[in-house]
Amino acid sequence: MFEFLKKLTKPRRILKKGIQQRMIGVLAFMLIGGFGASLVGLAKAQITDSDFFRLMAQSQQLSDTAIPAERGVIYDRNMTVLAQSATVWNVNMNPELLSKYPEEAKNEIFMNLEKILGLTQEELEEKASYKQYNSIKIKSKIEKADRDKMLKFLKGTYIYQPANSKPKKYAYSGVISLEEDVKRYYPYASLGAQVIGCIGSDNNGLAGLESKYDSMLTGIDGRLISARANNSSIKNIEYQSAYNAVQGTSLVLTLDSSIQRYLDDALKECYETSQCDTCYGIVMDVKTGAILAMSTQSGYDPNEPYKLYDEKISAGIDAIENETEKKSAKSTAVYQQWRNRAVSDTYEPGSVYKVITMAAGLEENVVDYDETFTCTGSIHVVDRNYWCHNHSGHGTETLTQGLMNSCNPFFITIGQRLGVDTFYKYFEAFGFTQKTGIDLSGEASPTAGVTYFKKDDMTKVNLASCSFGQSFQVSAIQMLTAINAVANGGKLMKPYVVGKTLDSDGNVISTTAPVVKRQVISESTSEKILASMEQVSTAGTAKNSYVAGYRVAGKTGTSDKLTGQQGDYIASFAGCAPANNPEISIIIVVDKPQGATGGGAVAAPVAAEVIEETLSYLNTERQYNDSEKDKLDVQVPDVTTKGVSEAKEAINEKELKVRVVGDGDTVVSQMPVYGQYIPQGGVVFLYTDDDKRCSYVEVPDFTGMTISQVNREAVDAGINVKISGNSLTATGLTAYRQSVEKGKEIECGSTVTVYFRTTTGVNDH
Amino acid sequence: MSTEDLTRNARENTGRSENKKIKNNKIRVFGINLFIDGGFDIIFMILVFALLTTGLIMLFSASYITAKYSPETSGNAFYYIIRQGVFAVVGVCIMFFVSKINPEIFKKFVWAIAAISIILLIVVLFYHTEVNQANTIKRWMKLPGFTIQPSDVAKIGMIITLAYTLEKYKKQLEKKWWLPLVFVGGVAGVCGLVFLESHLSGTILMFAIGIGMLFLGGIDRRWFILGIGAAVVLFALFWMFKEKILSPYQIERITSFSAKDYYDKDTRWQTNQSLFALGSGGIFGLGLGNSRQKFMYLPEPQNDFIFAIVGEELGFIRCVVILLLFAALVTRGFIIAARARSAYERLLVLGICLQLGIQTVLNILVVTDMMPNTGISLPFFSYGGTALLIQLFEMGLVLAVSRPGERRPH
Repeated sequence: MFEFLKKLTKPRRILKKGIQQRMIGVLAFMLIGGFGASLVGLAKAQITDSDFFRLMAQSQQLSDTAIPAERGVIYDRNMTVLAQSATVWNVNMNPELLSKYPEEAKNEIFMNLEKILGLTQEELEEKASYKQYNSIKIKSKIEKADRDKMLKFLKGTYIYQPANSKPKKYAYSGVISLEEDVKRYYPYASLGAQVIGCIGSDNNGLAGLESKYDSMLTGIDGRLISARANNSSIKNIEYQSAYNAVQGTSLVLTLDSSIQRYLDDALKECYETSQCDTCYGIVMDVKTGAILAMSTQSGYDPNEPYKLYDEKISAGIDAIENETEKKSAKSTAVYQQWRNRAVSDTYEPGSVYKVITMAAGLEENVVDYDETFTCTGSIHVVDRNYWCHNHSGHGTETLTQGLMNSCNPFFITIGQRLGVDTFYKYFEAFGFTQKTGIDLSGEASPTAGVTYFKKDDMTKVNLASCSFGQSFQVSAIQMLTAINAVANGGKLMKPYVVGKTLDSDGNVISTTAPVVKRQVISESTSEKILASMEQVSTAGTAKNSYVAGYRVAGKTGTSDKLTGQQGDYIASFAGCAPANNPEISIIIVVDKPQGATGGGAVAAPVAAEVIEETLSYLNTERQYNDSEKDKLDVQVPDVTTKGVSEAKEAINEKELKVRVVGDGDTVVSQMPVYGQYIPQGGVVFLYTDDDKRCSYVEVPDFTGMTISQVNREAVDAGINVKISGNSLTATGLTAYRQSVEKGKEIECGSTVTVYFRTTTGVNDH
Repeated sequence: MSTEDLTRNARENTGRSENKKIKNNKIRVFGINLFIDGGFDIIFMILVFALLTTGLIMLFSASYITAKYSPETSGNAFYYIIRQGVFAVVGVCIMFFVSKINPEIFKKFVWAIAAISIILLIVVLFYHTEVNQANTIKRWMKLPGFTIQPSDVAKIGMIITLAYTLEKYKKQLEKKWWLPLVFVGGVAGVCGLVFLESHLSGTILMFAIGIGMLFLGGIDRRWFILGIGAAVVLFALFWMFKEKILSPYQIERITSFSAKDYYDKDTRWQTNQSLFALGSGGIFGLGLGNSRQKFMYLPEPQNDFIFAIVGEELGFIRCVVILLLFAALVTRGFIIAARARSAYERLLVLGICLQLGIQTVLNILVVTDMMPNTGISLPFFSYGGTALLIQLFEMGLVLAVSRPGERRPH
């Protein structure tokens, strides 16, 4: 090196040796010391520490924005939206910057926030006190109307005029900003709420389908990675790479919001009148196992999942003084109201289970369909007597009659004849030892030794109680699936609520195919049982489930709750319709009804309402038998513009009554109008003057009246009454509900449906 | 414009001057040739052009974004490059012109040059542009049309003065033992004035040039041994009392240097951003024009920290090439100095090379965080018109020295 430098700096002319040495020294020092050090520094920054510095640079240069995936929609089977997400906005404050704003500007901002968002000054002051933060959320999920107001406000600037100085501008948008968020909307509020579920504040599913299908519904958030300048005004940096969001999958349920509405309304009515703890029900498509409706009464609205809806419960919680206990009680209550009891709760099926015992007996030929049995009021098994609910005994009865009477000794006998092994075989075959596998979260898990007897532990005494549905528990969905197998020619279906999944463009991703789990009983056994069950609904303990023309086949149950106090009952009904070709199966469970406690009195009328409305909605043709035909409604003829006498004649011909209002000669209008159906012997109002048109009448209170009382009252009032209920075979029918509430004014000649039920001959316990 | 043209022009221009004597087709002033013959050092000139063009290209790339979005430039993306380009063209003309001028001429004005340098250094303490609110930095002086740093003028002033005096008082320096102290005192005095501007890097640079020139000027070796000892003691004292000597601004910069907090967003911001830029560049760089750090992360990327952007865009390998160009320029300068015709000319070139080399090295050390951020620009790269003019003027001087032609008439 030095030799090289020496050669380089070899002087052309005489140069003192000392000077030459010094020059070489200085040059070498600069090159080695100076440039060498520079090189070391450069290598350190660009090679050895390069990764760290590059990451530091990227972390500031790259903005990584999430592109939120839109949560999938939940539709009912007619593509009615049950749950959908929409954009909302969070309002954020920058307390750090706000603290640098003059007091006047701050007051102006707070005043506007109070006006638009309804926040109090104290709240805002408190939020503004976090001066170390540059962003703090002051209001969550505001909707478009408020957001528009906010945007208008945020365009403004506060012009501050300090003394002896130029005015300064303070932009509102500098300290208050809006940030996009999503909110889940449930347009039908509590309709099917426990099935649909709800989501939490961070948009993850908490309950129901929202939780079960959370990852599918959520999709995958995308990311937008882009270079940004250290100055927000510079936007056009080309470097940008996007990872597209995978939009959430939408679910098309098998639920039908109309049928769901019928079930919800009927259960709500039941909840109020029976003063039960809770009640729940399911409607299933017989052929496929698809759930058409599933409802639990708790009044809960997924739009506000944390609010307590039961006044009794919330009052009880308010009364708790200890704050921690109160908090835990509240959260328990909140989870309880989310609970989809139709799949999560277990109960003792009681007499409804006799259908299964009967099926096993017939299938195994231990009992003949035409066999008769004499009930003496009790039966002795091993060491104890089992009483029939009719202590004096049902006397001699056929199998069908035994089912109609819900006779315990008869079914204990069948059970004993089957023996533990065979009984257990059918218990298992009908799916009571396993989850049904319905695509809902929180299905109750049957556990041998806990919810039902282990086969090896089952004694003859146990077998006796099991034969009529006591001493074990099932879930409503299990019971309905089993009943549905009976209705479906012996095919046990796997129930499901999600019929289809759709991608964000509406293309079908998957369709759920109905799954036949197994053939449990033969088709002929199934037919026999349905015939018997139809009798139960027509003239047996389930006669309150009768619907004219729809041939309901059902079975009621009233069971002692294993848990809880003496005298706590579960009333239930399970059945299907129409009996000759079942389309829907249904189960109604009423937990701890007060007053009337039997399944026949409490649960069957609910089922009747739902069946009638559902089948009528599904356009199922009514099949009337002869006695029903006699009671059919009559179509009102067209008599408008005809002469009064001619009109009267035409109406009388139909065996309807006539009332003429006015003094004219020709009919100007009529009520009911042409084509409407009214009950036999109903009234048609004819108006001959225009100005007298539309007389109104107040609807009387029919509750508690018998059919004849109701008819008399209706004729007096000038309205037509349609009777719903079993007027064919039942005695002691009383009205318990009417389609138009009392005191409401309706036009003369309008039709009001009055629902009847009986409390006689429906006891099965 | 070729050298001959320039020479012809210069001849024609000076031809009108009263103060000229023409003999043997040579223009003479003060009894010496005004112009010198013979070709200059082509290698040195090529190196100057290589650095100047690279510097201009990088200045354009580094300043583009700042210029585009800065209110001071009215959003004109070409603001800095146009100005620097104009100065570069003028500077190159000056370089060629000066390269033809007999360096001996400057001897005649040496006291005037020294006086102007010192006056400017004093004036700037009272008349300077406001940089920060505390108003501690007094480096820049606004003149009609442009801004200058008097310390830039003082550097070349000191180089010329020292070259002249070291040659003139060579004999006395050997005889009178106290004379070297006068020289050191003079250098220290000028450095003191620069220090008063709150210009630490400028002070260090000037002091290094001064001491280097005294060393190369042949002052007795023993003085330097003594000086090193004194420097160590002084530095120790300085470090002990640095709070009293340095301004809070300077102390902050030194503390932040030793702390090396890469998450600091305050005093170390510029240094950290520089390192992030260099690290992003890595070995091969992001490509010319692709710097991301110039998007308002690195403050004033066109000034002292331009090399960070160079490193980010061109990468380590090309940075080394640029460093080698600077090193080659300095080395070539030393060769020219070794071949110089007089001690004066030799010292002139050595002074200029010292300045160039030390300034480059200090700049790179600051940019790579090997030294506290003191505010030192990179020759030929950093934005600054007058600084570039002076640099090219100096290059002209070196080229003039490299010409073999006669300085004095025979």
